[in-house]
Amino acid sequence: MSKIVRTMSSILSLFIFVYGSYIIMHGHLTPGGGFQGGAVFASGVALLIVAFGSQNLHKSLKEHHLSILESGGALIFIGLAFGGIATVFFYNFLVGSPIFGHIPPPGPNPGDIWTAGVIPFMNLAVGLKVIAGLSAILLVMALATTITEVEE
Amino acid sequence: MIEPGVLHIIVPILIVACALLVAILKDLIVAVISLAAMSLLLALEFYLLQAPDVAIAEAGVGAAISAAIYILAIRATKRR
Amino acid sequence: MRKIAMAASLSVFIAFLIAATLVIHPFGYPPSQMDDYIIENAQSETGANNVVTAVVFDYRGFDTLGEATILFTAVTGVVMLFRRRKKE
Repeated sequence: MSKIVRTMSSILSLFIFVYGSYIIMHGHLTPGGGFQGGAVFASGVALLIVAFGSQNLHKSLKEHHLSILESGGALIFIGLAFGGIATVFFYNFLVGSPIFGHIPPPGPNPGDIWTAGVIPFMNLAVGLKVIAGLSAILLVMALATTITEVEE
Repeated sequence: MIEPGVLHIIVPILIVACALLVAILKDLIVAVISLAAMSLLLALEFYLLQAPDVAIAEAGVGAAISAAIYILAIRATKRR
Repeated sequence: MRKIAMAASLSVFIAFLIAATLVIHPFGYPPSQMDDYIIENAQSETGANNVVTAVVFDYRGFDTLGEATILFTAVTGVVMLFRRRKKE
């Protein structure tokens, strides 16, 4: 792509990444969560792939690193689910504890980031998983289609 | 100002029109762009129905990721 | 004979769809008590202000686990399908 497109997309993708991270980390206060924020983040990666070309991006973003990140997210998620196994599977064992353990007053209120127990960690794990998974799909498909173009 | 009741009539008509355009159009790239526009209008309709979670997911996956994947798949085919 | 059976099964299916559309409960008035329980107790039990996230990650955690498994399987399939071959 031309230089104008590359400059604009490298500036704009930073804002998309910040917005996706905001949706992931504030999943227990505002609408959104791990899956939605990860989809927004991966759309920024798609913008970078379109602007810079998959060959250039592949120098700094390898798909086996992405798959390691995705498996790590899944392991964190299942490990947090096993953390509450003393009561039931998927029990929220951090509510009331000093880490993310505040309980908000009932009814509509502006909210507090330091609440909701295990849910922010689960949001982070699912967000990592979705970011790595969708980015890996886009990167691998873009690489495969570029190689067929070169061969013709 | 447009009332929300009017938007509940306009937006589904636009969604159906975009979906018909996807089936009618011959150029595949234009059809994919029409599909992305349908997905974005669907996200607007979800937001009007007070489901902002689903709206964010639909706008991210439907309008960006799936359109990119469709365009990548079309690029791998040969144009006659 | 085969066409008659096919038409009969198709008409039964269409009648089932129409009946299901007629007996569905009205929009916005769910008949269950589970949602009332969740709306009342989600903030005090999980501490999350966003009740949708509390349902997705706490009350219905198995659903999210299944979704994560689906995504993992899809990524594995795509990466396996488009794995780059070494140039010979």
